[in-house]
Amino acid sequence: MQLRRLIPALFIQNGLIVRSEDFSIHQIIGNVVNEAARYNQWNVDELIYVDISRHQKYDARRDDHRISSFSSIEEIIQGISKVCFMPLTFGGGIRKIEDVDVRIRNGADKVILNTGAYETPELVEAIASKYGNQCCVISADYRMVDGSPMLFTNMGTRNTGVNVLDWIRRCETMGAGEIFLHAIDRDGKANGYDFETINRACEATRLPVIACGGAATIEDFIDVFLDTPASAIAAGNMFHFTEHSYPRAKRELKREKINVR
Amino acid sequence: MSDRKYLVHPDRPEKIEYCKNCVAPSSSAIPLAFDEEGVCSGCRVSGQRDKVDWEDRKNRLARLLNRYRSKDGANYDCIIPVSGGKDSYFQTHVIKNIMGMNPLLVTYHGNNYTPTGLKNLRNMKEVFGVDHMFFTPSIHVLQTLNRMGMLMMGDMNWHAHCGIFTLPIRVALQFNVPLIIWGEHGFMDIGGMHSYNDFVEFTYRYRHEHLCRGYEWYDFLEAAPSYGESLEKKDLITWMYPSDEEIDRVGVRGIFISNYVPWEANVHGEMVKKEYGFLESEEPFERTYRRMSNLDDMHENGIHDYMKYIKFGYGRATDHTCKDIRAGKMTREEAIEIVRQRDHIKSKDLWRWLDYVGWTEEKFDQVADTFRDPRVWWKGQNGEWVKDNLWDE
Repeated sequence: MQLRRLIPALFIQNGLIVRSEDFSIHQIIGNVVNEAARYNQWNVDELIYVDISRHQKYDARRDDHRISSFSSIEEIIQGISKVCFMPLTFGGGIRKIEDVDVRIRNGADKVILNTGAYETPELVEAIASKYGNQCCVISADYRMVDGSPMLFTNMGTRNTGVNVLDWIRRCETMGAGEIFLHAIDRDGKANGYDFETINRACEATRLPVIACGGAATIEDFIDVFLDTPASAIAAGNMFHFTEHSYPRAKRELKREKINVR
Repeated sequence: MSDRKYLVHPDRPEKIEYCKNCVAPSSSAIPLAFDEEGVCSGCRVSGQRDKVDWEDRKNRLARLLNRYRSKDGANYDCIIPVSGGKDSYFQTHVIKNIMGMNPLLVTYHGNNYTPTGLKNLRNMKEVFGVDHMFFTPSIHVLQTLNRMGMLMMGDMNWHAHCGIFTLPIRVALQFNVPLIIWGEHGFMDIGGMHSYNDFVEFTYRYRHEHLCRGYEWYDFLEAAPSYGESLEKKDLITWMYPSDEEIDRVGVRGIFISNYVPWEANVHGEMVKKEYGFLESEEPFERTYRRMSNLDDMHENGIHDYMKYIKFGYGRATDHTCKDIRAGKMTREEAIEIVRQRDHIKSKDLWRWLDYVGWTEEKFDQVADTFRDPRVWWKGQNGEWVKDNLWDE
């Protein structure tokens, strides 16, 4: 039986890791490379980084820090790759196959995309044929609109009018390898995962589904694994705040006999 | 990005932005973000405090503390790292006198205590009736770390930031006391780094990256010969952070009580003066108007803070006025005037520090100038240093 995964998801804005809430409030947490180094010490299953910078401006803000500044997404991925030895998924701003090439060439193992996949579906096919289906993760960002989970693009600002479950089915036929199911309404709210949509998404596709949005405590992870067939759980904020958050979560999951590494 | 090259007149770096509510600059040394209305995360998070159900938080704290209370009274219930400042008094007041815990107080003494700071620290043991561990590293090593910190990162007080956030963890392991009670989360308080919903706790990464700026004891050991200094591994035990395995063995955990008890420094300051005999500084500071903050280290409000001005173009007067604006004790206009008068002052404690480490003022200035951030400073028409100012907005 396949091992279920627990994945820290990190959001980068202008070169720094941010705490995200509702896709709109972003507080600066710290340096992308230091964060990766700590997760590497914790032996995490894999890492997902999403660059949510609105402008192509990258700066670590302080020159008196041991890790000096960087000026591009390439430098950031290279910096992370040097300290992090687990599968690395990188996303944000991917609109063409060359954007994927840059990320893979600099050390990413997979890419994750939302707006690019919706606006240019052939990009998904291109990634799958060049790098294999497993390389292409679709971030299906959704909000509940009149009781239905609707796909949003452009960093959660644009309602596509497409039901996210229909979108997931389409992504599978286009050649995506994995679905990152991200509940915008729950982002940074620590109000628990959206079990219903996670279950319906898992029914809608044979692809692995990574559930994200709403984690507050380790119990939330346990509940998702017990009550849904999700292949993986991702969480952002909560891994930043408590010591040994990741290894502790893994220990608790094992105690509940959940099949994790 | 900064490639550490300075622009010269008439070019200049991108304009510094200031918070529309307080006076925090975009060049902030601590993580700080502005929202679409131009208000900083520090003000936004500070505004959350009114919406928190503090009664519920106090109950949560009580439950949490009860889990750690020594069952048979054969050990301390928790550790409180203290400098002897108003916050140390408030922490001990809450934990010992309100919540009824038996804490062990732990102090890292970096050999720069002000006389008033030292009086306050000694007074704690008596007024609270608690045990207190007082620890001073070797003066020779402290002098070395002062010089090296200044040369490596423009901060003579690295040893203090690292020591304060390492020694109590080492003591927690040694005494098998898993719970450490910190006061406020500094970066959350000033910069709004986290939400009150996060219940953020102390982590190695926060200490390593933010408090120690990514440097550890081994960086100093390795760099010492290139600065003409002599350090051995055995000199640096105080600053060695325990391994994850050791932390796990005892289950060490550090909470910030500002998540559980409303934190208002001005109110606490008055209370601890009245109830516990806490003393304000007898002499005013040059770089800040507050007399009851950062009394422990004589350079903290002085030349250490001046380096922040040299690097990022602002100092503690900015930090303190930001806090007081958010607390409703000051208008933005009043703050601007205070910042204009104080942020740039080269304070007279510099002479004590120069004497302590054997440097000249010329050497200090020369080293300081290499840390001016090119995002903030540029060279004017006559080669002088120029920066944006709050009052020119």
